[in-house]
Amino acid sequence: MKITGKLDRDLGTLKQLLPAEDILTFDFVSVKGLAFTVLFADPITDKELLGEQVIRPLLHYDGKPTAEEVGRKITSPEKRTETDLAKLSEEVLAGNPVLLFEDMDEAIIVGTKKVFVRAIAEPSTDVAVKGPREGFIEDIKINTSLVRRRLKTPELKIEFLNVGRRSQTYVAVCYLEGTSVKQTVEEIKTKLEEIDLDIVPDSSYLTHFLASRPYSLLKQIGTTEKPDIFCAKIAEGRVGILVDGSPIALTAPYLLVEDFQSSEDYFVPPYRATFTRLLRLLALFVAIYLPAFYIAAQLFKLQLFPVKLLLTIAGSIRDIPFSPSLEMLLVLFVLEILNEASIRMPKYVGMALSVVGALVLGETAVSAGFVSTPAIIIIAFSGIGLYAVPNLIEVTSVVRLAMLLVAGSVGTYGIILLTGFILLYVVTTENFGTPVLAPFSPIVGRDLRDSIVKYNLGSLELRPRTLKSPNKRRLGNE
Amino acid sequence: MNKISQRQLFFLLGCVAPVGKLVILPARLAANAGGDLWIPALFHVLVQSAVIFCVLLLAKRGKSFYELLADTFGQIIAKILSVLFALFLLYAALLPLLEQQIFVRGVFYDTLPSLAAFSPFFLFSAYLCAKPLASFGRVWDILGPMAIVSFAGILVFSATNADYLAVLPVGSAGLKGIAGSTALSFSWFFDSALLIPLLGKIEYKRGAAWKGTLCYLAGGFAVLLFLVTFFGIFEGTAGNQLFAFTKTSKYYSAITALGRIDYVFIFALALVMAFYSALPLQGSIDCVLQAFGKKRYLPTLLSIGVNLLFFGFTVFFDFRFNLAMEFISQKLFWIFPVFTVLLPPLCLLLRRKRHESA
Amino acid sequence: MKARNLIKTIPMKLYVLLAAVILFAFFSNDFGLVDIQKTAVILAAGVDRSEEGFTLTAQIAVPKGSDRSQGGTSSVEIDAEGKTISDCVSLIFSKTGWVPKLVFCDLIVIGENAAKEDVISYLNYFLRSEYMPDSCKLAVCEGTAKELLSSTSAIDDASSLAIDKLFSDAAEKSGNVMTNTLKDFAIGYYGASKSGYLPYIRMTDQDGSQDPAGGTGGTGGTGAQQSEKIYSAEETAIFSEGRMVGLLPREQTLAFSLLKGNVEAGTLNVPDRDETVTLSVLKNEGGIDLEMKGAPIAKLDLSVMVRLCCRGTTAPMQDISSDGVPDAILERAKTVLDGYVRDLWQICKESGCDLFDLRRALYRSSLKKYAEWKDYLLASVTPEIKTEVKSMK
Repeated sequence: MKITGKLDRDLGTLKQLLPAEDILTFDFVSVKGLAFTVLFADPITDKELLGEQVIRPLLHYDGKPTAEEVGRKITSPEKRTETDLAKLSEEVLAGNPVLLFEDMDEAIIVGTKKVFVRAIAEPSTDVAVKGPREGFIEDIKINTSLVRRRLKTPELKIEFLNVGRRSQTYVAVCYLEGTSVKQTVEEIKTKLEEIDLDIVPDSSYLTHFLASRPYSLLKQIGTTEKPDIFCAKIAEGRVGILVDGSPIALTAPYLLVEDFQSSEDYFVPPYRATFTRLLRLLALFVAIYLPAFYIAAQLFKLQLFPVKLLLTIAGSIRDIPFSPSLEMLLVLFVLEILNEASIRMPKYVGMALSVVGALVLGETAVSAGFVSTPAIIIIAFSGIGLYAVPNLIEVTSVVRLAMLLVAGSVGTYGIILLTGFILLYVVTTENFGTPVLAPFSPIVGRDLRDSIVKYNLGSLELRPRTLKSPNKRRLGNE
Repeated sequence: MNKISQRQLFFLLGCVAPVGKLVILPARLAANAGGDLWIPALFHVLVQSAVIFCVLLLAKRGKSFYELLADTFGQIIAKILSVLFALFLLYAALLPLLEQQIFVRGVFYDTLPSLAAFSPFFLFSAYLCAKPLASFGRVWDILGPMAIVSFAGILVFSATNADYLAVLPVGSAGLKGIAGSTALSFSWFFDSALLIPLLGKIEYKRGAAWKGTLCYLAGGFAVLLFLVTFFGIFEGTAGNQLFAFTKTSKYYSAITALGRIDYVFIFALALVMAFYSALPLQGSIDCVLQAFGKKRYLPTLLSIGVNLLFFGFTVFFDFRFNLAMEFISQKLFWIFPVFTVLLPPLCLLLRRKRHESA
Repeated sequence: MKARNLIKTIPMKLYVLLAAVILFAFFSNDFGLVDIQKTAVILAAGVDRSEEGFTLTAQIAVPKGSDRSQGGTSSVEIDAEGKTISDCVSLIFSKTGWVPKLVFCDLIVIGENAAKEDVISYLNYFLRSEYMPDSCKLAVCEGTAKELLSSTSAIDDASSLAIDKLFSDAAEKSGNVMTNTLKDFAIGYYGASKSGYLPYIRMTDQDGSQDPAGGTGGTGGTGAQQSEKIYSAEETAIFSEGRMVGLLPREQTLAFSLLKGNVEAGTLNVPDRDETVTLSVLKNEGGIDLEMKGAPIAKLDLSVMVRLCCRGTTAPMQDISSDGVPDAILERAKTVLDGYVRDLWQICKESGCDLFDLRRALYRSSLKKYAEWKDYLLASVTPEIKTEVKSMK
C-alpha cells in the first residue's frame, strides 16, 4: 500500500493499521505553509529528541516540498524515506517516528527511538575472578558495539535479520569472513529465515530451530553472556548470533568441551587451567555418578564400600523408614526444589531459605530419622559438583536423575549400560557438520591442546581443526 | 560418520582381542591346559593376525563383503553367502552373550539376581544395532583408550601378586591337552570375522594392513600376558576362577586400605565389553542390510528381532551355560575355523571387478 | 498418512514405556536383591568339627545406629551346627532372618579338631562361592573357633578385628607370624607340594593365664563376666594334603620367615655367656632351592643384616652409641639360626610337610624328574643350610 500524498487519507490508513491508543499524531505547518504530521508510538519514542532534531527545524523550513530537501533540514543522523504504508507502521511500532507531508508521496522515518537499557554489568552466571567483567545486555545495538570494539576488523560481518512474525525481533549473525565456514553461515541464516515463530522473547527460542536434533537431551548451540568469550569463539571460526532483547548470545557449532572451559582459563597459567578443567570434569562425574553408585552399592553390591564405611552407612540407615533408593530420590527432590526456590525467590528471603534448607530440612530430618546423614552428604556433594559446570546443569541434572533411577532398579550394570547409551548418543550427535564430542571422538590430536588439558598460548598457533576454519593459523603469519 | 577412520580401526583391533577373552576363557584354558594356557592363545593370536592381515588387504579394495561376493558370484549367490555369514555371526555371538550374562549376574551383584538383571543389555544392544555400523567407529575413539588404560591398570595391580614361574614347565599339559584347549578356544577367537562386515566402510590408507595387524598382535600379546599373570596368581586353582579379570587385581595391597578401587577399571572394561558383545549382532544385521539394501525400517526391525531372539536364548540357557559352552566350544567348534580362518583368505581370491558405479 | 504418523510416534511411545518400566522397577525394587538392611555382614567365620558335622560361627557386625560418637564396631557371634558348611550358613539365615553375606569376611578360623582332617573338604564351600573373597586370612586356633570368636578382646571391639591386627604387614615383617590366605593355602593344596601352613592362634587371659581349650562358649560376645583376652599367633601350623601335621614353635616360625625373606624389623635373641643379647634384623634375604645332581639337595639360604638392639647387662656409653655387633655375637647368631633352620627342616621332614615347596620346584624344573622323584623326594632330600649374619656397619 503506497502513500497517496493526501495527508488525511494516508493518516487514516495508518491509523487503521495502528489502532492502538498510544500511537499519537500531531499536525504542524511550517512557516512556508508545508503541512506535515508526526506519527509515533508514545512510550518508545524520545520526544525531546524528536522536537529538537526534527520538528523545530521543520517549522522553520522554507525550501522545496520534496522529501530529499526536507530530509536535509532534519538534524537527526538516522533518517530515511519510505513509500510503503505497511513498512511505515512497522517503523512506528519499532519506536521510530514517521513524518507524513501534504502532497508528498514519500514519508520520512527518523531514528529517535527511546532505548531503555540497563548498564553493562558482570553476568551473574559467568563470573571471572580475573579477566573482563563486561556482559551482554538486552539491547542488540550495544551488544554489537561490544563485539565490534573487540574485533576491529573489516572481516567482522554483522548481518541483521528480523525473526518473529509479530515481534520482528532483530537477530544479528556475526562472523569473521574468511575464518568462519561459509556453509555454516549460510545454513544458520537459512534456518533463521525459515523460522516461523510468533514472537522471539529470548535467544533460547532460536536454539530449538538451529539444532540438528531439536529434541536432543544435549545442548547443541553454545551460549555465553560475555563478549570476550563470544569474540574468542568467533575468532576460532564459529558463528555468533545476537538477539535483541536477550543478553545471552549463541554460538555455533557447539562442542561439549566448551562448557568445561572458562574465560579465566586463558588468563591464568596453563597448568592451573588444566587443573581446574580436570576438576570440573571430575566434579561433573561426581555429580552424575555418586548418588547412583551409592544406591547401587547399597542395594546390589555392598563390596563397593570399604567395610568400615559400610558399617557406618548401615548404622545411619538402620532406622530410616524408606528404602535406600526412595530415600535418595526424596533428598534429591528436596535439593532440586530448594534450588528452584532459591533462584526464583526474592533476595531478601534467600537467607531464610538457606536456614530452612540447611537446618530444618537437613539437620532436623536426620535427627527425626526421615533421612540418613550419608544420603544428605552424597546429594550435597553431587549438588556442588553440578554447579562446577554451570552451563551443563540442565543436562546433567536430568542425567543424574536417570542414573539414579537405573541404579535403583538394575544396579551398577544399569549405570554402565546407561553410560553406554549416552556415550553412543553423544558420539553420534553433530551440529553443522561438527561432532559434539570432538576433539575426543573423533580424536583430533592438535585440538586436545585446548580441551580438558590446556597448553600454553604459544602452542595454540592453529585454530581448532574440528571447526574446519579455512583460515587455519591464528598466531604468526596468516 | 559413514566411514571408520584408520585410527578407530586400530583401536578396535587393539582392543578386540583383550576385551573378548577375559571372562571365562582364562579359566577354561587353565582347566584344560594348566600352565600351558598361553600356548593355545598364542596359536590363535598368530593365526588371527595373519587372517586379519588378509581382511585388511581386502579392505583396500574399498568394497563391502556383499559387493565383493556379487562381483564374482552374482547377486543371488552373494545374497545367500551374506546371509550365511550373518548367521555365523549370530552363532558366534551366542557364547560371548551368555558369558556376559553370567558375568553380569556374578560380578555386579552380591547375591544371584533374577534373570531380568541382564535384560536391559538387549535394550542397549537393540539401540546400538539399529545404528549404522560405521557410526560405531567413533565410539572406539573413547572406548579404545578407556580399554587400554583399564586393562593396563588391572595388569599392574595383578602383576605384583603373580608368580610367573608357575607356568613352568612348558608342555606340562602334553600335546593332547594343548590341542584340546586350542580346539575349544576357537569359539573365542573369531576376531577376523568381526571385521568382514566393516569391509567397504574403512578409510584405508597406505600401510593400514600391517599396522592394523600389529595393533591386533599387541592386543593379542596383552592377552597372553594376562593369561600368564592369571595363572601366576591362581596356579592350580585357576580353573575355578570365572570372571578372571575381576579377580586378579583384588590382591593388590592398596585394595585393603582403599576398598576395591580396581572396580573403576573393571567397570570401565565392562562398558567396553557391552559394546564388544553387541558387535557380532551388529555385524550380522549389517551383512543382511548389505545384501538386501537399507530399507526404511529394516535396520530397526532386524535389530529388534535379533535382540528378542537373543533375549530368548539367554532365558533358555539360564543355568545351562556349561551345556551351551560345551556344545559351541567342543561339539561344533569346527564351524569357527571355517568362517574365521579359511573364509577370509579365500576372499582374497574374489575377482577384482570394477564396480559399476566407479 | 495415519499409519505413518503412528510409526513416527513409536520411538516416543517406546521411550515412555521404557521410563515406566524403569520407574516400576525402581519403586518395586526387587530383582531378588538383598539390600544393606537385610544383610548380615560377616566379619569372620569359625569352623569346628561337631558331632553332627560342623559348627560354623559367624561374627556379624552390628551397625551402631546414627550415633557414631563412640566409634568402634559392635558384633555378635551366631553359630549353627550342620552337616556341611552350606547347611550351617542356611541355619544362620533362618536363626537371624538376616541374609549372611561373606563378601566382607576377612578371617576364617579353623578349630584344632577340624584342622586335623582335610580342611579343603569343607573350605571348598568358601572357594566355590563367587560371593566370598578368597583373599581372606586363614588361621588355625587352639581349642574351638567358636570359643575364640566369641571371646572378648582386650584390644578391639570384635575378636576378629583384634586377630586381624596380628596378621598385619608389620607383624609379618617382624617374623613373628606367618600369615596365609584362603587362596594361597588352596594353591599349595592343589599344587605339586600339596602342603601349606597357617598361623596358629592361642588365646590367653589379659592377666597372662592360658585359656583352657574348648570352653562351653555360647553366643554373644558381650558377656560382661568373660575376662578380656589377648591373642597371639607366633606359632605356625603346618599341613600336608590338607591335614594339620605339625606345629612350628616361635623360633622355627622366625626361621621360616627368614627363609622366605619376609623379615625387615624382627628380633633375634642370642645367648652370650651369661646374658642374652637381642639383635634387631634390619634386612633379610632368603632362598630355597632344589638341586638335582644325583641325590636331591635342598639349599636353604638365608642372610640377615642385624644391629645390636639390647643386652642384658649395663654397658658403657660408647657401646650404647654403637650399633655394630661384635664378631663373636655374629658367630653365635649364625649358630642359633642354623639350629632354628635345622629344627624346622626336621619338623617338616618328620611330619611329611613339603613346607619349602620342593616338589613344586622339581615339577617346574623337570617333568621327567618330578615323575621319578615325587613320591619319595622329601624322604631322600638332604638339606644344605647356609646362613649369613652381617652387622650393620
